[in-house]
Amino acid sequence: MYQYNEVDQKLVDERVEQYRDQTRRYLAGELPEDDFLALRLMNGLYVQRHAPMLRVAGPYGMYNSTQLRKLAHIARTYDKGYAHFTTRTNIQFNWPKLEEVPDILAELASVQMHAIQTSGNCIRNTTTDQFAGVIADEIEDPRPYCEIIRQWSSLHPEFAYLPRKFKIAISAAPTDRAATQVHDIGLHIVKNDAGETGFEVLVGGGLGRTPVIGKQIRPFLAKEDLLSYLEAIVRVYNLNGRRDNKYKARIKILVQTMGIDQFRELVDAEWEQIRDTDLKLPQTEIDRVKAFFAPFDYDATAAEDSSLEQKLAQDEAFRTWYERNTVAHKVAGYRITYISLKPYLKPAGDVTDQQLDLIADLADNYSFGEVRATHNQNLVLADVKNSDVYAVWQILSGANLARPNIGTLTDMTVCPGGDFCALANAKTLGIADQINRKFEDMDYVHDLGDLKLNMSGCINACSHHHVGHIGILGVDKKGEDWYQITLGGDDGSNAALGKVIGKSVPSDEVADTLQKVIEVYLDNRYENERFIDTFQRIGIAPFKEYVYAPAN
Amino acid sequence: MPLLINREVVADNWSLLNEEAITSEASIRPGNIIVPLALYQEHKALFTEHDGQVALQVNGDDDLTELMENFDQFPMIAIEFPIFRDGRGFSIARLLVRAGYQGEIRATGDIGRDRLAYMERCGFTAIQVADDQFKPEMLNAFDDISNYYQSATDNNRAVYHQ
Repeated sequence: MYQYNEVDQKLVDERVEQYRDQTRRYLAGELPEDDFLALRLMNGLYVQRHAPMLRVAGPYGMYNSTQLRKLAHIARTYDKGYAHFTTRTNIQFNWPKLEEVPDILAELASVQMHAIQTSGNCIRNTTTDQFAGVIADEIEDPRPYCEIIRQWSSLHPEFAYLPRKFKIAISAAPTDRAATQVHDIGLHIVKNDAGETGFEVLVGGGLGRTPVIGKQIRPFLAKEDLLSYLEAIVRVYNLNGRRDNKYKARIKILVQTMGIDQFRELVDAEWEQIRDTDLKLPQTEIDRVKAFFAPFDYDATAAEDSSLEQKLAQDEAFRTWYERNTVAHKVAGYRITYISLKPYLKPAGDVTDQQLDLIADLADNYSFGEVRATHNQNLVLADVKNSDVYAVWQILSGANLARPNIGTLTDMTVCPGGDFCALANAKTLGIADQINRKFEDMDYVHDLGDLKLNMSGCINACSHHHVGHIGILGVDKKGEDWYQITLGGDDGSNAALGKVIGKSVPSDEVADTLQKVIEVYLDNRYENERFIDTFQRIGIAPFKEYVYAPAN
Repeated sequence: MPLLINREVVADNWSLLNEEAITSEASIRPGNIIVPLALYQEHKALFTEHDGQVALQVNGDDDLTELMENFDQFPMIAIEFPIFRDGRGFSIARLLVRAGYQGEIRATGDIGRDRLAYMERCGFTAIQVADDQFKPEMLNAFDDISNYYQSATDNNRAVYHQ
């Protein structure tokens, strides 16, 4: 993965000292609350219901073992012994002390990490496919472009006070695992008719209060034009996006109001002015960054292993996990291996300091020292040799990290909800537990197959409920938590927004309602048909009818 | 209000003209004045005979199309930051510089220490700080971060050209 040079390190170090001074001035009463708010947000610090929350950047989901150990240390020393992976592949601490945050940032800087632009109205962490570089069907590894975008957008002097936050995602495979169609900008690495590699550019997607699928603004963008084109889009947005209403300030509203064609005209006019400036990306720079993501020195004899087949034949629990939680690697003899952060009755995405240390050891011993975070709040060891997969499973099992549920109903994406978040209208964690209890039988859950369940505690939609096959949205009704259910959402290549099934249900009926939804699916599905495919075939009516049928 | 040019506090010999000064019959006092764009457009004739220099003040709500055609007649354009979170002024400054504007580009409005460096990088040549926001120490803010990844108005060398 990318390694800092002197320029990167100096910038991060100076930023820590800058923030230390900002905190000092705030605590001394020299910096007004409102000004400090904007500044702390640009350093990842929110003030939550109980305490500040610090969000640390995991650039495009990449973490190395040294960083994981440092995160474990921070969780132990400055927090309550755990941390939380987010849908932006970042990691959050929920209990830091405001006055200690500069020290935490200094600790992070010592392992090439920071919290720059993890919140605030600026360009956020670019996300990508968790299988980047190790999956057979991708056109090119997207991570070098993520890093190039990270550098261009970090402390960009013009784009620190955008109308609203701004998120970019890149995907390079036919299967979109980065939810690119619901980002402010989605980039698809594609080949044109001449066989050149470049980007298809989407703009104006997003979730939140007004979910929108992104629209194509450019079918093919040459690599050298990547930064100039991004800068043109963001400049047009900065100048024209609404600033009078924060719920209408995202670029999706601008694109919707203006229409994609007029928006494209503005962007193209701006782009003409800047595409031949130094924003033009030299191939030497692309190559320099690419070198950091060169394939590992894979063991050519790895494919000769026969122990994996034996273990699979002998150990049913292992086989179940293997089928659900591992994925084919592009190199024969290797396997992509998930670490499930969706254990039974524990918050989605949470890890303890001990688990972080253990994962760091696993990465060092079995996966070239690296780990990736996914936008569904799980982790991935991307390069595990076949002969090591069984040992990895045993170690993960011992640490409660091997629940065989990736992609299934209990692999829920869940925001912290009303228990932690000041914005939430309803709690989510208890509902997740309720669903886990109801659907505890793993055989049953496996039989249901791929099923994406996303639950958000408010309409800000941090857990992307609009694009869950089943989405759950917590709403407040006269001080009580109620839950609205949507069906048919998808954040993959066939992105779609879920449809509301009917009136919301009280908190003690969520799992029972899901059970009814599942029953309709089971009654109607063809063999091997996924939930989302059955839904698209039969529509919402049969679900609506059955779920809201009057009790006999 | 302290005015920063080249990272130093300098004397300011401009004053902002407000609407009352025009409607109150009294002719506009001689001297260098900054006129908000809307006011200027409404009373253009008044300023042709003005005894002193005339500059414009714009913000993100203004339509700048016409100004971009004839900015050379103004020795200074002030860009207003009405609230801290309004970042349109950064882009406006860059557009002015790119279009070849040679006069002073002044930032005014809600300007705290922590944006001085960004303003300089976007091409502002003068920054006016409100009295209650000014502290001599804030001049250090320009040096908080010594190197940047991306090019801007202050340098045309992105990190990959360095």
